[in-house]
Amino acid sequence: MAISRGLARRTVPEAADIISTVEFNHTGELLATGDKGGRVVIFQREPESKNAPHSQGEYDVYSTFQSHEPEFDYLKSLEIEEKINKIKWLPQQNAAHSLLSTNDKTIKLWKITERDKRPEGYNLKDEEGKLKDLSTVTSLQVPVLKPMDLMVEVSPRRVFANGHTYHINSISVNSDCETYMSADDLRINLWHLAITDRSFNIVDIKPANMEDLTEVITASEFHPHHCNLFVYSSSKGSLRLCDMRAAALCDKHSKLFEEPEDPSNRSFFSEIISSVSDVKFSHSGRYMLTRDYLTVKVWDLNMEARPIETYQVHDYLRSKLCSLYENDCIFDKFECAWNGSDSVIMTGAYNNFFRMFDRNTKRDVTLEASRESSKPRAVLKPRRVCVGGKRRRDDISVDSLDFTKKILHTAWHPAENIIAIAATNNLYIFQDKVNSEMH
Amino acid sequence: MVGGLKRKHSDLEEEEEDEKWDWGPAGLRSYQQALLQISLDKVQRSLGPRAPSLRRHVLIHNTLQQLQAALCLAPAPALPPEPLFPGEEDFSLSATIGSILRELETSMDDTESPQNPIAPPGPQNEVLPQPDPVFLEALSSRYLGDSGLDDFFLDIDTSAVEKEPALAPPEPPHNLFCAPGSWECNELDHIMEIILGS
Repeated sequence: MAISRGLARRTVPEAADIISTVEFNHTGELLATGDKGGRVVIFQREPESKNAPHSQGEYDVYSTFQSHEPEFDYLKSLEIEEKINKIKWLPQQNAAHSLLSTNDKTIKLWKITERDKRPEGYNLKDEEGKLKDLSTVTSLQVPVLKPMDLMVEVSPRRVFANGHTYHINSISVNSDCETYMSADDLRINLWHLAITDRSFNIVDIKPANMEDLTEVITASEFHPHHCNLFVYSSSKGSLRLCDMRAAALCDKHSKLFEEPEDPSNRSFFSEIISSVSDVKFSHSGRYMLTRDYLTVKVWDLNMEARPIETYQVHDYLRSKLCSLYENDCIFDKFECAWNGSDSVIMTGAYNNFFRMFDRNTKRDVTLEASRESSKPRAVLKPRRVCVGGKRRRDDISVDSLDFTKKILHTAWHPAENIIAIAATNNLYIFQDKVNSEMH
Repeated sequence: MVGGLKRKHSDLEEEEEDEKWDWGPAGLRSYQQALLQISLDKVQRSLGPRAPSLRRHVLIHNTLQQLQAALCLAPAPALPPEPLFPGEEDFSLSATIGSILRELETSMDDTESPQNPIAPPGPQNEVLPQPDPVFLEALSSRYLGDSGLDDFFLDIDTSAVEKEPALAPPEPPHNLFCAPGSWECNELDHIMEIILGS
């Protein structure tokens, strides 16, 4: 794999700058990031330039806005973080772009529009919009549109509040382009994009007695083509495919995807490491990709008994699980992503490493997103983690991995080999060097 | 992959395997106790100004339940030192977990009174926070199955146990511990004494 580094952004090391989600829009022209400080930054891909071929594909800041503010729930005496948990783009319907952003409780619909002309020559208003003294108006004129510097305007269109008691972990726009769903730890709600004061509960796994609670919803997504189908993953490692045609409340799944536990690997941490942290349908809609703590798995929608492919992300951590439990890393929620043709999958790891797996050749690679080891437009070198024994030059031993540098959020351009990697407060954009195959 | 590399890998696996099978009953118990202590610390520390992550909480809770079952099943290797906090008699493990889960519900879900177990009638309300022997049995059979207890410790990080100052004091077993396989040991205060004692 030959990937060159495009650019790194947002280098101020503040907690609020830690990137919490990354999402390409449907064409890949725009890339949105959300951070712990409640901000959304949108990057736009520069148009191709014949004079400077290197600039092609680079993403520059397009717009930045504050999506969520910290809040306090006075009734429950709880702080509500402003951190952006997820961003989802809506399919583009007109010249404007729209996206949904959510923190733990509230989902907002934002409209992003461009303006490069402004009206001038109003009869009753001056340049700043103030009313003119009518005695000075002696003649009438026709206002005209004058060109101006491009301005990107972001405006909140809808606020979907009060729909969730627990923390929202996923939002997903339906292929009908009219509805979307939001999932928290125990429930999934269905919303209409135009209606903010009403949502329908489609999944509820809350037990009558909270002491009986042993399982939570960890992620959820609509099928890319069938608007009646959606999947949700659980902290016990299972996936449930639900069909909204079956009943209004989809508490009874249509299909349950679950892999029997391997007795040889059983431990106190079996359940924690099997908890699914992310689920993504393939672009084709035939497969599902799930990430748990140590592996990434591909499931065929037609086979529930076991995944068709399992890839080890960092199996060398299997002997370190107790320490990872003690320092809480075992609860990290790594995401996963498909490439445009569903042939390569990508997911993050520790030490600013991320992994790619080619489903056809079964080759895998570990790459590093760090400013120290890569210069702009340099080719990334594969990295290797050494698990005891002889160490080759440039290998890194398991004991020297930095567990504070974790790549949780990644995104793949919908059509091209361009990936976005969020490494703490840095966003890295890597591009296939010659736009050739990834393998 | 390079051929030589594979050999190294398998060498390491053998080493690890040796370490895993080196566990005596004292080591196992000490490991369980350490894990139990870590888990309880996590449960207590997670109550802050923000609503805790329910996923993390449930996973820790389930791990605690497994540990609880394993500690009850495992034979007692040694007498623990004197309890540090003998006065806290009602500070039992399941009561702690139960109260935290209740707190979670009341703090996060007070909009849903019909579903809250405050007063509504029904068999659910008869379930007490303290697990009964049947509950423990169900739990242990679910997690342990027919396989040996050693299966649980295949991925043990030995560093956790090496940190333990005293693995097995020389005194004979104390009557605090139940006989192997006995269900009398669901007296959770005993587990807490073991933890505090270690």
